[in-house]
Amino acid sequence: VPNDPFFGIAPQDEKYYKSSDVIRCKDGSGKFTRAQLNDDFCDCPDGTDEPGTSACPGGKFYCHNAGHVPTSLFSSRVNDGICDCCDGTDEYDGKVTCSNTCWEAGKVARDKLKKKIATYQDGVKLRKDEIEKAKSALDKDKAELLKLKKEESTLKEIVQQLKEHKEEIEKEEEKERLRKEKEEKEKKEAEEKANEEKSAATGEEARHTNEAGKHSDAKDYAAGETKYEQSDVGDSYDGATDSPSSEGSLLNEVEESVKGAEGEHAAKSETDLRVEEKKSSEEIINTGNDASENTEGLSKEELGQLVASRWTGQKGGKQSGEAEDAKKTEEQEDLTSESNNEEYEGYASETDDDSNRYDGEDETEDDFREEEMILMSSDVVATDNPSWLTKIQRTVRKLFKAVNFFETPLNQTDAARVRKEYDELSSKLSKLQSRVSSLTQKLKHDFGPESEFYSFYDRCFESKQNKYTYKVCPYDQASQEEGYSTTRLGRWDKFEDSYKVMAFSNGDRCWNGPDRSMKVRMRCGLKNEITDVDEPSRCEYVALLSTPALCKEEKLKELQHKLDSLNSQQPEKHDEL
Amino acid sequence: WKKEEFRTCHQTPFCKRARSRTSSTSTPLVATDVTISDGNLIAKLVAKSKQEETQQNTNPLLLSLSVYQNGVVRVTIDEDHSLNPPKSRFHVPDVVVSEFQSTKLWLQRVTQETLDGDDSPSSVVYVSDGFDAVLRHDPFEVFVRDKSNGNTRVVSMNSHGLFDFEQLKVKGEGDDWGESFRSHHDKRPYGPQSISFDVTFHGADFVYGIPEHATSLALKPTKGPGVEESEPYRLFNLDVFEYIHDSPFGLYGSVPFMLSHGKQRGSSGFFWLNAAEMQIDVLGSGWDAENGISKLPKNRVDTLWMSEAGVVDAFFFVGPTPKDVLKQYTSVTGMPAMPQLFSTAYHQCRWNYRDEEDVEHVDSKFDEFDIPYDVLWLDIEHTDGKKYFTWDNVLFPNPEEMQRKIAAKGRHMVTIVDPHIKRDNSFPLHKEATEKGYYVKDSSGNDYDGWCWPGSSSYLDMLSPEIRSWWGDKFSYQNYVGSTPSLYIWNDMNEPSVFNGPEVTMPRDALHIGGVEHREVHNAYGYYFHMATSEGLVKRGDGKDRPFVLSRALFAGTQRYGAIWTGDNTAEWDHLRVSVPMVLTLGLAGVSFSGADVGGFFGNPEPELLVRWYQLGAFYPFFRAHAHHDTKRREPWLFGERNTELIRDAIHVRYALLPYYYTLFREANTTGVPVMRPLWMEFPSEEATFSNDEAFMIGNSLLVQGIYTERAKQTSVYLPGKESWYDFRTGNVYKGEATHKLAVTEESIPVFMRAGTIITRKDRFRRSSTQMTNDPYTLVIALNSSQAAEGELYLDDGSSFNFLQGAYIHRRFIFKDGKLTSLDLAPASNGNARYPVNTVIERIILLGHASGSKNALVEPSNQKVDVELAPFWVQRKNSPAVMTIRKPNVRVTDDWTIKIL
Repeated sequence: VPNDPFFGIAPQDEKYYKSSDVIRCKDGSGKFTRAQLNDDFCDCPDGTDEPGTSACPGGKFYCHNAGHVPTSLFSSRVNDGICDCCDGTDEYDGKVTCSNTCWEAGKVARDKLKKKIATYQDGVKLRKDEIEKAKSALDKDKAELLKLKKEESTLKEIVQQLKEHKEEIEKEEEKERLRKEKEEKEKKEAEEKANEEKSAATGEEARHTNEAGKHSDAKDYAAGETKYEQSDVGDSYDGATDSPSSEGSLLNEVEESVKGAEGEHAAKSETDLRVEEKKSSEEIINTGNDASENTEGLSKEELGQLVASRWTGQKGGKQSGEAEDAKKTEEQEDLTSESNNEEYEGYASETDDDSNRYDGEDETEDDFREEEMILMSSDVVATDNPSWLTKIQRTVRKLFKAVNFFETPLNQTDAARVRKEYDELSSKLSKLQSRVSSLTQKLKHDFGPESEFYSFYDRCFESKQNKYTYKVCPYDQASQEEGYSTTRLGRWDKFEDSYKVMAFSNGDRCWNGPDRSMKVRMRCGLKNEITDVDEPSRCEYVALLSTPALCKEEKLKELQHKLDSLNSQQPEKHDEL
Repeated sequence: WKKEEFRTCHQTPFCKRARSRTSSTSTPLVATDVTISDGNLIAKLVAKSKQEETQQNTNPLLLSLSVYQNGVVRVTIDEDHSLNPPKSRFHVPDVVVSEFQSTKLWLQRVTQETLDGDDSPSSVVYVSDGFDAVLRHDPFEVFVRDKSNGNTRVVSMNSHGLFDFEQLKVKGEGDDWGESFRSHHDKRPYGPQSISFDVTFHGADFVYGIPEHATSLALKPTKGPGVEESEPYRLFNLDVFEYIHDSPFGLYGSVPFMLSHGKQRGSSGFFWLNAAEMQIDVLGSGWDAENGISKLPKNRVDTLWMSEAGVVDAFFFVGPTPKDVLKQYTSVTGMPAMPQLFSTAYHQCRWNYRDEEDVEHVDSKFDEFDIPYDVLWLDIEHTDGKKYFTWDNVLFPNPEEMQRKIAAKGRHMVTIVDPHIKRDNSFPLHKEATEKGYYVKDSSGNDYDGWCWPGSSSYLDMLSPEIRSWWGDKFSYQNYVGSTPSLYIWNDMNEPSVFNGPEVTMPRDALHIGGVEHREVHNAYGYYFHMATSEGLVKRGDGKDRPFVLSRALFAGTQRYGAIWTGDNTAEWDHLRVSVPMVLTLGLAGVSFSGADVGGFFGNPEPELLVRWYQLGAFYPFFRAHAHHDTKRREPWLFGERNTELIRDAIHVRYALLPYYYTLFREANTTGVPVMRPLWMEFPSEEATFSNDEAFMIGNSLLVQGIYTERAKQTSVYLPGKESWYDFRTGNVYKGEATHKLAVTEESIPVFMRAGTIITRKDRFRRSSTQMTNDPYTLVIALNSSQAAEGELYLDDGSSFNFLQGAYIHRRFIFKDGKLTSLDLAPASNGNARYPVNTVIERIILLGHASGSKNALVEPSNQKVDVELAPFWVQRKNSPAVMTIRKPNVRVTDDWTIKIL
């Protein structure tokens, strides 16, 4: 029992205890007398009556720690033989002697705090700059988007007009073609009439059609042909890519043959099973093949590795002497082979799509920028400085005027000009649209309450740890690279923990485990820098990123306040030090 | 589970042969030349008919029967060495404790008696006042009979004439005894050498024991009418990947000890000391009629025991109570070791705490969340390339400093040391073992080379006392660089697990010291390894520090060397459920200090399953959480505030009960009675409990019912005995001899305290058990219908062997006539050592006492203390108020009485 009845009570709580002789348990569960305060017997389950002893498991003990920071301990630490408070007040039953280390510990803590404050002071400025930059950049982005959208709609209109004209031209051309065909046909018919072996030729043609029917659906083919004849060039092109009928059937065939092989395999393993049954009934101890994992015919070493891999998730094949290296590579191999076996199609096509999409986007953007530059520069050259769009409008208008659409047959040069203009401008339009969409996508992202993370867009932070390079690309993905192999640790998900953590989820699948994921914890620093990467739980990665974006002014004030209060709590004798 | 990688009985010739044998197809034996020699009854067993003698296997066998105190009969049957068999058969050494020999009753005479219906006489010897042992000559049968009960049989061998003994032969021209299983070949140089016989438990309703299987407590029949195709219970130590939860399949350990229980007769037991592969059938009633046998009374359980090699070395235990059988069995194989106090607390394990930073982090998190724990474990990844006794110098550059930091909080660490030694010439241990010829040899006499974690590995021949002693020295602080006194050991993979061996273990034709084949010693290999490690730790501590070694493989006698866990279980409700019969069965086989991995080793438990597992696991004698390295982290604070709170509470309950557990560990240490018990051990005449393995007793006072289903809203609990029970959370009373439907809450699983018992708690929680040493006690007194109760408290320094010299405190608390008395139970003649403590009792809770008292009087100090209503559990919010004697502050070392006024 402590000598001071008010032992272990926080200064702000003293009034609560001293105001009356009967004190209520803070949780309202009961009350106790002054004599029961710190009498080493728990009367309030929340520990109100025993702030200075270990009697209540739910209680808290306050140590003043003059010279350092006051702390509140679980009562389980009082008189447990371990010095917890730097002032040693938690151990008073004489079983251990704790020296007061608050001044030394406090000094270390203050120095650390001072350094931290210094970092914050610089960091806060950097952050402000970043925010300013981000704001103007964002404004620029938004303005650009607005402008692009306008341009898009104008250009769309022009392209539409061109398209209509082009279609008209093509209609005319078609008429012309039909007319010519008719002429030809009439000519031919006339010739054929003259020819007396007419019936023989017809029979041959019929036989030919029948033969074609054997290979593919003749009617459909014919219908397709008709459609082709009727539709305009653009559509027919689409048609060609959409239904490559020959390719389709080829695919079907492949699929079927795969199915066939599977069937054969299944049949085979059934046979094996039957063989096995037979064997065991004859009491031949050597059992047959294991359908899932055939261990027969393995070398001793391979068998050992295979069985070990059940626990470790590693495939055999390498000396486990070089444990770590081998392990990780094998994991990679596992991953690949797993995806190859199980979801080959999906996986492969997804990857292809992804890379195409990314590549495509990048290319489009680059192209677009390039062209924009060219257009801009040509704009600059122009005297009245009209926008490139106005220039185009003008050109197109001129073109429309120049072309006589009612001339028959159509002037070939004019038609080519329209067509060329249409092709160029519609490709320009699609580039413009993709730029609009990527900019829209970008602006949809959460750049933080003050857009302090704007500069993270399109950036990656890298850290090399042993043989791995970790790459964290905010708003995109996080990955681990080793030589030429890349493992995706996660796709961008969101900020967490009030913008202190960047979460990447749904990364590559772990063997026998979850999808990989990564959390990037951020803290104030003067440079954007990954300082640590760790895998505390299997396939769940954690990285530390120091960044000015986290150097908040409020936090700086808080730290300064903390330092002030630390300084004010220093025992007087140390003041001169 | 890779079923096809393991042999079935059908694929195992000796098992297939023995299983298909019937009384009419076996060769009947008769006992001849019966005499007394060296205090034993000896006889020859010869084939009954002359014609048989022309066949093989007809040399007479030698039988010896000896009798020991407390109702133990031992029967050995072996070949006659004077006839020069090609090799002497293997007798398992170092399992029967030396003290057992001193309990032998030297037989002076044998009585001849003709049993009812027999033509020829039987030989009868005295066992105890109540029992005789009988050798029936023709047909040969051995049994123990109960004199007080009309000379009825208790346990008998060969009552159905299924005895068969394949004698060793010299290999002749054209003999090919080799056997193949999958890609493995067994040379079997001595041909078939199996032994099988039937054992009958009379007056029994159920049989139990023969761990280790993931199956029910009461053993289901494996053969007989109405039994679907079933394997026998297999005893063959195997490392089984992802074992399934309901199967007679052999797991990591083998204890060929079976115990019966029945309402009519009570309990008896049978133990066959044999370390070869064993298969045991429990024969369903009616099997005998199918075989044309029906001369024995009903109410019995017949079993068929089959072993690949070795000798008959069988022990009969007469009971008659289940606790008597445990006492008898442990008088042969040894009492469970007294564990270190810290090891009875909570253990935190994972494959793997990766590095020193991780260790420090996990350790500090326990403190941050105020959750006590005592031991942090390091799995195989802490080593340098799976070379045990080494450290990965990148991950663990300063192991001593790391251990010192943990030890500064009174905590301990455990590192893993497995029996496979990496075949790496730069590894001194391997070099030394190779030079000294200490490895097990393959059938050609070269060092056996198998595959385990380090890759190519060899296995020390732990059958040799010299090698065990050499191994033990490796644990000295000097040899095990980086170890400190707070470090203890974990023996895994000691079945032994061999990844590229037949059935993931060592080939049966591998050779041990003295030409012993691995097939003969297999089931005891892990036991010897555990023994060597445990003895090494004793040596390390100069004989002053109790060892702590957890082992996965086990055999009869393992209880002397340390704790056992049930191996690589899975995070599924079924595995939580089966852990109870598994741990209970280990306890019935003497291995009291055991538990299952809390949370399940493989897979990721849902938070609810994890919480339920902690709530149940907190009552396992060995309480450790563990996880596979592919699983998500699952330390107690990772599942949200509420789940953290629930897990903390479960762990707190265990810490509160540590004084009670420690007292029970001492009881096990002196009587063999396990800490965790089937209900029928405490209520032997209540049939309703005989096959109950959902609930269990901790000691004689607490009944625990697990919750084994998701989102359970209610459960049924059968409370045995005439006296009532108190809910251990609320203090509410429930009637005995009744099934209660109870609402289930997330707060805890149902636990009841039996009226008439007293337990001790410590209600203050510290970082670890170490800091609780001086903390005061709470006594909980659950009064029965006569307002009386009794209980005990044992304590000592928790770590040394001084208790053997009397340095302990053992009290009995008796409440009767409104008065609580504390009596000294330590015998005066116990030695001179003392365990001095000033610990007091701060709180006495009275359940079931009439209210109204305001005071109590403590004598002899003649002090008045308050009696008031106070929380049953001070650490729980809204805990119901119960009658409490406030601050009696009497010392546990003293005699005193407290009278309620």
